[in-house]
Amino acid sequence: MLRVSALASVLPGVPGLIYTRRAYDDLFSYYAPIGIGVFALFALAIVFAVIRYRGRPPSAAARWHENDRLEGAYALLLACVVAFLLYLTYSAEHKVDSVSAHEQPRLTVDVVASKWEWTFSYPAYGITARSGAVGDQPLVVPTGEAVRFELSSLDVIHSFWIPALRFKRAAFPGHTQNITLAFGSTGLFQGQCAEFCGLRHPEMIFSVRVVTPQQFTAWAARGGGS
Amino acid sequence: MGGAGRRVVSTTTSSLLAERRIPGWLGSLTSTDHKRIGVNLGILSLFFFLVGGVFALLMRAQLAAPNGHLVSDNTYSELFTMHGSTMIYLFVTPMAIAMAMYLVPLQIGAVGIAGPRLALTGFWIWLTGGVIMQSGWLTGDGPGRDGWFSYVPLSDSSNTPGVGQDMWVVGVILAATGLLVMAACVAATIARHRAPGMSLLRMPVFTWTAFVTVLMTVGSFPVLIFVMVLLYLQRQGANIFIGFNGAIDYQDLFWFFGHPVVYVMFFPYLGAAAEAIAVNAHKRWFGYIAFVASMMAFSALSMSVWAHHMFTTGGVTNAYFAFTSTALVVPAGIEYFDMIATLIGGAIVLRASMLFALTFFLQFLIGGLSGIFVASPVLDYHANDSYFVIAHFHYTLFAGSVFGFFAGVFHWFPKVTGARLRESLGKLQLGLLVIGTNMTFFPMFILGQEGMPRRISRYPTHPGWATLNRIETAGAVIIALAIAVFLVNLWVSLRRREAAGEDPWLGHTLEWATSSPPPVHNFDRPLPPITSYAPLLDRREAAEAQVSRP
Amino acid sequence: MKGGAIPLLVWGAFLAVLGGLNWIWTGDAIQVGTFGFAILVVIVGAGALVLLSRDALGRGAPEPRSDPEAVPDVSVGAVLAGLSVGSILFGLVFGTFFVYFGAGMLLASLGRLAFEVRSQRRSERSVEEVQP
Repeated sequence: MLRVSALASVLPGVPGLIYTRRAYDDLFSYYAPIGIGVFALFALAIVFAVIRYRGRPPSAAARWHENDRLEGAYALLLACVVAFLLYLTYSAEHKVDSVSAHEQPRLTVDVVASKWEWTFSYPAYGITARSGAVGDQPLVVPTGEAVRFELSSLDVIHSFWIPALRFKRAAFPGHTQNITLAFGSTGLFQGQCAEFCGLRHPEMIFSVRVVTPQQFTAWAARGGGS
Repeated sequence: MGGAGRRVVSTTTSSLLAERRIPGWLGSLTSTDHKRIGVNLGILSLFFFLVGGVFALLMRAQLAAPNGHLVSDNTYSELFTMHGSTMIYLFVTPMAIAMAMYLVPLQIGAVGIAGPRLALTGFWIWLTGGVIMQSGWLTGDGPGRDGWFSYVPLSDSSNTPGVGQDMWVVGVILAATGLLVMAACVAATIARHRAPGMSLLRMPVFTWTAFVTVLMTVGSFPVLIFVMVLLYLQRQGANIFIGFNGAIDYQDLFWFFGHPVVYVMFFPYLGAAAEAIAVNAHKRWFGYIAFVASMMAFSALSMSVWAHHMFTTGGVTNAYFAFTSTALVVPAGIEYFDMIATLIGGAIVLRASMLFALTFFLQFLIGGLSGIFVASPVLDYHANDSYFVIAHFHYTLFAGSVFGFFAGVFHWFPKVTGARLRESLGKLQLGLLVIGTNMTFFPMFILGQEGMPRRISRYPTHPGWATLNRIETAGAVIIALAIAVFLVNLWVSLRRREAAGEDPWLGHTLEWATSSPPPVHNFDRPLPPITSYAPLLDRREAAEAQVSRP
Repeated sequence: MKGGAIPLLVWGAFLAVLGGLNWIWTGDAIQVGTFGFAILVVIVGAGALVLLSRDALGRGAPEPRSDPEAVPDVSVGAVLAGLSVGSILFGLVFGTFFVYFGAGMLLASLGRLAFEVRSQRRSERSVEEVQP
């Protein structure tokens, strides 16, 4: 249970920041082994039962066909598993959705999705970058800081997905959604539209360049670019 | 004297017009016999399955290598839209209804379906819907091309213009209406036409699965029809779904149908697999009461999970839908428990139907467990709209339902036609299908995890993606081979018939207490006493007790 | 027929619990509305069954009935009705001709259906007269 409280835990030196990647990985580390274990259990049970009870004459088949107490206990066990999974999920979602929203962002980026490109603007710096079917200017963000994205769309529903962060959010026309994300390590990552948005949906991709805060300040002072 | 204990007369007298039969298969399309309607619906659904399968193969060919250019982006969007629409509206759902239509009256000892004319009308409405939907291919703009759930505003007339898309909407309205009408007839049959002695808690396992299926259908399909009518009006210029709230409302209404239909496409196949397992284990289905109770809870719960499709919209209360979706573990777990407890102590014969039923439970488990995974919003934030979700629902619908469907086909084919399917070809088909299915769909979990979104006609040269996609395409070809083996099996088995007799597998339920195929009014002799949900097994057990008593 | 309405009401009660939970948890009008609609369908269905036969709420198994039942074998009227609905909706997309054609066919099929139902009733009566 100790690990549970460590869900969406912080990276060293950056107190309080919620990393979606970390929240996902922690949750995954419970769900995946449980799922694989359950699968193995049932697969073995089926194989065992078939090997043990095949090739007998029909009259040898047992007549018993119910055991309400056993089944009731089993249902209770399942309910406990459900409760445990929900506890994990709710704690993780609370951090990713609610706690992160209260972080003080160092940086705000307007993300406007349209057919078929992404426009990233940094109002504080007067910088605009475009990526997608036409441009390929990356989204540049610093590590270890809360970054607020104000996400909207000009036409149809798109979806802002950065697989490395294990996070996406749909972008709706005429509506702005605020999401707060934090980037754990420097590097170049892929991002893309996840919601089918028409003909050139596959080209609606962008890169995310994550740099150190110092590099970011320098980049912003230069007025963007590469 | 018919099976239901009432005198049955055909409406054939007293008029010149009333009894002018049209010969041949076309004539059978005017029959109000639930068996004819069921078989015709099944045959046409199978045809649409092949059509939808061709669309899938074309997509897999396009994705066999990075930056594929076999088809255009536009054609690709038509292919995935029509693949999904064909499989859901025209194959898996109608096939589920077809099995219920054929089997439910037989299993409950009824002479026919309630509202036979209405059922026939429903069949024709569904068929015209299917034809209209596919006719979109003949129009200049092509058929539907905005995905099978056709979100607004992408689906409005400015973003997706064209008459083909309108025909898609109309086709969906008609197909859903037809299915709704037929489902209502099945529900009424269960409510009103059970044979004397057939209390609700003596109905066979398959009939119960069919019953909750038709309940979900009548509860959710009208909402689909409603939202499609609104979409049609929107495409004609009415402003109905406006802005963010409008888009969310559309999704809410659509998925209120769209998730229950997932279980409409699952429960009857679960019931088919359960019957095959019980009969091939020569042991009655374990935990009947718990099973019935869990089916009621399962189906009601599955009406309340829909917005887990909308976790990433920021427009729904994720916690509620995470709760209901995760809670599905309990009834689903009961089903698996019952299945294994049925096997234990049984006398198992590994016929093709049994093998399909067992692999149904195993393969579906992967779909079900990954479903619990994506029921967690934080995990779904990554998995949603990625290939992970594609893997998940193909493990439920293809690796699950289609395996259950084949279990049912091998189990009931002798009843429907009087001839058995070839066991060896069946096992060959199963082997190919298991290999092909897992090759096609398992790599999708990895691709989704690595960030490949669904519905892209071209993907860049990421490390590993090309290999995984090539494995998937090869798997799809193996699936096609397996289906070809099945078609050959149908052909051979109907050409060189191996007579099945009326009860080739020592069945448990009433459909095995009449000739194969059953006569027009189902039962040509009095029904055996209905003492439980396995009346024929009761009769055999009583006879054995008689013999063993000196 | 015995008990036919009971599972509908049980299922409706399940739905009501889940819908109530949804109401408390989300308060979303559309979502509560869809739940309400599904519950309404189930209740109307159960009510119709009870109106057709009081037995629909009874416990136990159905009993044998002695009145004859006429079952139709073919119905051209039903086929025409299905086709005409398809034709009318197709006409909305493709041209008013199909709407008029479908409407005409619908009228013809309704006439035909009335005729078929009447001959079914007559069959039932004739059997009753022969074997009272």
